[in-house]
Amino acid sequence: MKLKNVSKFHICGLNQEKLLNELCTNFTLFEIERVSKNDTFFECSYFDHKKIQKIIKSHRVKIESVSHSGVVPKVMQTLSSYGLMLAILVCGVLYFFQNQYVVQYQVLGTENLSKSEIVSFVKGEFSSKKSEIDTTQIENALIDHFARISFVSCIIKGQTLVLNIKEKLLPTQMYGEFPPLMAQKDGKVTKIELVSGTLRVKVGDIVRKGDVLVEPYTLDASGQLKKVEAKAEILAEVYFEGTAEHYETFVQTFRTGEKRVQSEVLLFGLSIYNFQQEVPFQRYETETEFQNLSKNLFLPFKMKKTMFYELAQETIVSKFEDVEDETVAKAKADAEQKMDSGGEVVDEFYTVRHIGGVTFVNYCIVMEESLCEQPS
Amino acid sequence: MFNFLNEIKQNLKIPQGLDLNGFNLINIAGNLLYVEGHLGLVTLSKQQISFKVRKGVIIVDGEDMILNELSDTTLKICGKIRKVEQI
Repeated sequence: MKLKNVSKFHICGLNQEKLLNELCTNFTLFEIERVSKNDTFFECSYFDHKKIQKIIKSHRVKIESVSHSGVVPKVMQTLSSYGLMLAILVCGVLYFFQNQYVVQYQVLGTENLSKSEIVSFVKGEFSSKKSEIDTTQIENALIDHFARISFVSCIIKGQTLVLNIKEKLLPTQMYGEFPPLMAQKDGKVTKIELVSGTLRVKVGDIVRKGDVLVEPYTLDASGQLKKVEAKAEILAEVYFEGTAEHYETFVQTFRTGEKRVQSEVLLFGLSIYNFQQEVPFQRYETETEFQNLSKNLFLPFKMKKTMFYELAQETIVSKFEDVEDETVAKAKADAEQKMDSGGEVVDEFYTVRHIGGVTFVNYCIVMEESLCEQPS
Repeated sequence: MFNFLNEIKQNLKIPQGLDLNGFNLINIAGNLLYVEGHLGLVTLSKQQISFKVRKGVIIVDGEDMILNELSDTTLKICGKIRKVEQI
């Protein structure tokens, strides 16, 4: 877009030189181009175009076209677009009116109080017109009306009334309903560092999981009971036990590798075809599997396959002394499985018991661990 | 205000009795003709532009000529200027 404000005329008529001579006595003309005997284009300042138009008309020369370029013509054109101007005006008026009112309420920081209750209270008690809203009044009214509110701040941001609320703490939340400190596992207490509360165990005591270690209160000099948080660091030797058994004689059952298959085709659970091989085995175990023969649901044919595996038994005799290391390792692995990740291994040992041809190996790992998890 | 043409008129040794006040005409590279003191257009076309001056008419012949500017006393012609003639 040209910045210079220019009007371009296209005139058509005879004796244009005379017209141009008259025009140029009062105005400066630019880019005068005669394209044919009767057609001429010329430019002039936008601010002169109306006077020039008048003079041209008085000479009875036809104006074919007048076009304008530059900033001022564009502005004038916009201003003369009444529809657009009306729309801008209406929008401006609407914006002005609706901008005077609060249209949205935002409540922040509530946990127990109902936001809708607060909003309906504010809507009911106060005007939504911004000029009539006193935020201090709203704050005071909310504190007076809602006993659970300890602090409230109110601001108007745009067309939103923002209420930032801090609720009062309940006595139980303030002073706490403290739980006692309980043992999380079995063990023998080795070290106690009491922070607060009343101890229920001493070093050397054997405790079971769930036993109370520290009570959440203390007794002052006057014998008054005062609730406090039970807090202590209690270490204990914790035992992790694993077992393994060994039988001097036992019967082992195993598959020989022989098998028979029986097949059956089912439709809606009803057998419509079957193929059954004879099972000659004395001992066997079975496995059954179902297979869909069709993918549609109209005729859901299914194949039921039953496999018969032949079994054989063997009596195995072994001495414990031959497999002692292996059995102890099994018991140790069992104990290690039960261990927690933390803690330090203090000791480990195992015991062997023989009862009627069966040998029991108990493997014990002793670790020093914290007996209780501290409340956060 | 400094006027280049007036300076020339004053500084050149011009014979006595010559009238130098009618009009001024400057042809720049054959593509632009600047005229001071015209008294009105006579003809206007792409090939010929003529205008009145004191004691005569100036005829400018050329190609694709346009009247770049036209005011009360001055005019500028742009285009290929072949000939400038006073009659």
